[in-house]
Amino acid sequence: MEALLEIDNIEVVYNKAVQVLRGLSLRVPRGAIVALLGSNGAGKSTTLKSVSGLLSLEDGEVTAGEVRFNGANVKEVAPEKLVRSGLFHVMEGRRVFEDLTVEENLIAATYALSGRKQSLADSYELVYNYFPRLKERRKQLAGYLSGGEQQMLALGRALIAQPELIMLDEPSLGLAPLLVEEIFTIVSRINREQGTAILLVEQNAAVSLAIASYGYIMENGKIVIDGPAEKLAANEDVQEFYLGVGGKEGAARSYRDIKHYKRRKRWLS
Amino acid sequence: MITPEVRDLTLTQMLRAHAKERPAMLALRQKDFGIWQAYSWQDYYERARHFGLGLRALGLSEGGHVAIISENRVEWVIAQMGIGLVNGICVGVYPTSPWNEVAYVLEHGDAEMVVCEDQEQTDKVLEAWPRLPQLKHNIVIDMKGLSSYPAPPSSFQDIEARGREFEKTHPGLIDELLDNQQMEDTALMIYTSGSTGRPKGAMISWGNLHAAAPGLFELLRVDENSSSLSYLPLCHVAEQALTNIAPVYAGSTVSFGESLRTVQEDLREIAPSFFLGVPRIWEKLHSAIYIKMQETGRFRQGLFKHAMKACEPLATKPENQWSLIDRLTYGAYYWLVFRALQNFIGLRRCTIALTGAAPISTGILQFFRTIGIPLVEVYGQTESTGVATAQPVDDIRLGTVGVAVAGVEVKLGEQNEIIMRGGSMFKGYYKNDEATVSTLKDGWLHTGDVGEWQDGQLRIVDRLKDIMITAGGKNLSPTEIENTIKASPYIKECIVIGEARKYVSALIQIDFETVAKWAEQERIAYTTFRSLTEHERVRALIQGEVDKGNDKLPQVAQIKRFHLLTKELDHDDDEVTATMKVRRSNIYEKYTKVIESLYA
Repeated sequence: MEALLEIDNIEVVYNKAVQVLRGLSLRVPRGAIVALLGSNGAGKSTTLKSVSGLLSLEDGEVTAGEVRFNGANVKEVAPEKLVRSGLFHVMEGRRVFEDLTVEENLIAATYALSGRKQSLADSYELVYNYFPRLKERRKQLAGYLSGGEQQMLALGRALIAQPELIMLDEPSLGLAPLLVEEIFTIVSRINREQGTAILLVEQNAAVSLAIASYGYIMENGKIVIDGPAEKLAANEDVQEFYLGVGGKEGAARSYRDIKHYKRRKRWLS
Repeated sequence: MITPEVRDLTLTQMLRAHAKERPAMLALRQKDFGIWQAYSWQDYYERARHFGLGLRALGLSEGGHVAIISENRVEWVIAQMGIGLVNGICVGVYPTSPWNEVAYVLEHGDAEMVVCEDQEQTDKVLEAWPRLPQLKHNIVIDMKGLSSYPAPPSSFQDIEARGREFEKTHPGLIDELLDNQQMEDTALMIYTSGSTGRPKGAMISWGNLHAAAPGLFELLRVDENSSSLSYLPLCHVAEQALTNIAPVYAGSTVSFGESLRTVQEDLREIAPSFFLGVPRIWEKLHSAIYIKMQETGRFRQGLFKHAMKACEPLATKPENQWSLIDRLTYGAYYWLVFRALQNFIGLRRCTIALTGAAPISTGILQFFRTIGIPLVEVYGQTESTGVATAQPVDDIRLGTVGVAVAGVEVKLGEQNEIIMRGGSMFKGYYKNDEATVSTLKDGWLHTGDVGEWQDGQLRIVDRLKDIMITAGGKNLSPTEIENTIKASPYIKECIVIGEARKYVSALIQIDFETVAKWAEQERIAYTTFRSLTEHERVRALIQGEVDKGNDKLPQVAQIKRFHLLTKELDHDDDEVTATMKVRRSNIYEKYTKVIESLYA
């Protein structure tokens, strides 16, 4: 399948001193959901920021390699231009404008559409169609929404921009399991119905692998294993370290039996 | 320099002597949560005594076997000495072994008790326990996570406390046992790594350990001010020689780092006066320097290249033959380049560095000698209680393993097999008389290695069993071919195939780190080990490296075709031994399809 996003051997250094990514490569095909999994500090968010051009805000820099979106190098493209060309980054922690209402948040997002001819009302309807809850609350201040609703709003803002690729950074963060499921269902609906490709960064491996078609697992700034989602979910190491399935019986692991040593990871593909 | 005399005592008697004569001197150091904890000879002897008596109190029989499964730490040697003090026999097990291998050694070695490092090792023992009727007790050093087990094992401290109580009711027992200890008694059993079959238990006597000491003294120039780092597995004879034999007879200090993963930092902190590395360690240090060099600026790269070029001839030139110009050249580059490199690997204070346990590529040896590390290759076996021959430090012939050390006699027997004689030759294999008889004949140890003399120094050709005869009837040494190829920093492992074949082919495992670095520089996208090996440019790179190696080999020995392994060889998959030696027959069997495709 044709690649929409290609990350080719990038290295990222923060403050000219701390190397976070080292020779990282991955690709997102057009219209696919790709999961990027890994534990805290593996470099997942950094990977997304190096794509959307937000690294410089944190004194980070891509020192080698290149990122291509739709075949074009993103290096010299300003972040806001990238959004207009169809790449939307939903940051970790939702970042809604708390003092604006839901509707005003969505209006603000239409800035991404400037220069395009587009009926704004249709865009809002599209968002409200996926997230009926937002319609109910459209006059409320975003700061008073629940975490799940804020996440929905963040996703809604992404939809307004009608992107070809949404990069989602930890949408499940701080949400109840039921809400996580709801949001992931909507994400996969958006993917199916709008044909939007999704690069999903998550710690919750179980739900991500359920909706993704392909997955990468990152540790210490490197990909340790990749493969089709079903194959990854069946991998022994992924099961033990990311899905919490213990031992040979395939039963869920009880905290009572937790070991004080880690089985050696092998990452055999 | 005068080598101190080796006293006529067993290792355990020697420990007692140190505790009496120089009680407060430093014997052991253990790094714990970042702080080096010190143990004097008195502490060492006392803890070993209490532990030994604790085992007695627990019911260890006279001459009973106790296994130890742990990474290197003070408790390892304390337990070993304790077992020896009460006339037990210590059996070391590799902590990296999967449970079935642990089970084999415990079962074959008839262990009555086992000392486990932690929960991980305990779990292996618990899994194996139903097969081990003679195993009575499990003693654990780090009890974390074990208190909730249905029948929690005893802790190491419990045993020491028990021994302390026992000593009150049985004063003088240890002295009595020690006074009656005989040199012929078995001190430990060392299981050979088993690259060709099941591991065999070599019985090493107190006398063997004692007889190995003079050779080590001469080689290591060890004295009571020496200091060393213990990091290779203690169940291997090499680390036994460097952690126990030499330091205990000489009274020097041994340090234990925090774990195997911190060796590099520990080395820098300890700055040991002697050091033994297996070829893998040297290869790793070599590629660490190589990678750093590639990352540095052009000026430094140039300087490094000049330094290496200018000083390479000095690597094998005895220092007393250096001309004034040689001295000036080396001196200049020492301050500019080499000193920093020596500090980087932590070996600047090393008076001698050894490589052994497996053949090393001469390129690596030469590299370290060029940067000023006095590295020599040694040769020995479990059965010869470690070092039997060593390269004389000021008369190096690259590719040889030097001459016999003090107390060992070496000659070539039938089919040019290397045979050896001396006090350090082992007693025999445990429960395997057949193997003992075929190994020890008329007082000569038959090593199973083929050798030849080269200017009075011994050169190892290969294992007798491994010599291949091609379809054309040529005799080839696979090890020789493999080492030539492995000199490339991009190739980590090479297994040659050629027995009864038209030509030689090989299975090659790339060095993930260096090839990954190269791929990044060449802008080759890859994600994992597998995708890297399957890339055609990587294949071309390795082809280039193989061609370079082939140039150094005779026509018949050249590798015509090769296959890149898509996963790293692993102990868990039965492909290499705990010491990372390749299990040829297993690999030939496992990769039959691939091998056949190389001849298709």
